[in-house]
Amino acid sequence: MSISPIGPIGSIPVAPATTRATGTQGAGFGQALAQGLDQLNGLQQTSDTKSVQAVTGQLSDIHDYTIAANEAALATQLTVAVRNKAVEAFTEIMRMPV
Amino acid sequence: MSIFGAIDTAGSSLTLHRTWLDAISDNIANINTVRPTSQSAFQARYVVAQSRGNGTGVDVAGIALGSAQGRMVSDPTNPLADAQGYVRMPDIDMSEQMTQLIMSQRGYQANLAVVERAQQAYQQAIGLGR
Repeated sequence: MSISPIGPIGSIPVAPATTRATGTQGAGFGQALAQGLDQLNGLQQTSDTKSVQAVTGQLSDIHDYTIAANEAALATQLTVAVRNKAVEAFTEIMRMPV
Repeated sequence: MSIFGAIDTAGSSLTLHRTWLDAISDNIANINTVRPTSQSAFQARYVVAQSRGNGTGVDVAGIALGSAQGRMVSDPTNPLADAQGYVRMPDIDMSEQMTQLIMSQRGYQANLAVVERAQQAYQQAIGLGR
């Protein structure tokens, strides 16, 4: 009966390099917000152009201006609502006892 | 389609109905326009509507013109009358134009109601969870 010899020590396996979580989770909300702001800016600009056309007598359709103004107002309300929700979430987290 | 699709769709129809109102206005304005028989009569304007097909509203495809023949009316005292005493009147029926006027006006109002309701709906959606 023979005791088998202890084998040589192999190389220590190197832990795989940790990759940082790519910023998809972080950028999601920011990107959405930026897109929303871009869209809002576009609507506001359309509304401005139409209002200038209305007062200079170049507007053929009254409803073109009123609709543009309404859409801009709605988009502003939406953006403000999203911003308020974001601030609310932030303050909620800050209030968390550590 | 933008985020306020319903409003834009109703807006396209508002443009169509405004064009229709313009056409009816022109038809009624020229209902007594007399031309000599050597010329063609005033032609009634008809708006051609075309659906956008992808669910985003309607477009004005063009303006179709009515009869160039018109109606030959005997009016010998008219300075434009020919040797037989005839002049050319436009072939436009006043009662038909008035009916169309009501239809176009009601159509315009209906689309304005859609805009209003859509706006209320969007506003309520924004206020969700407030």
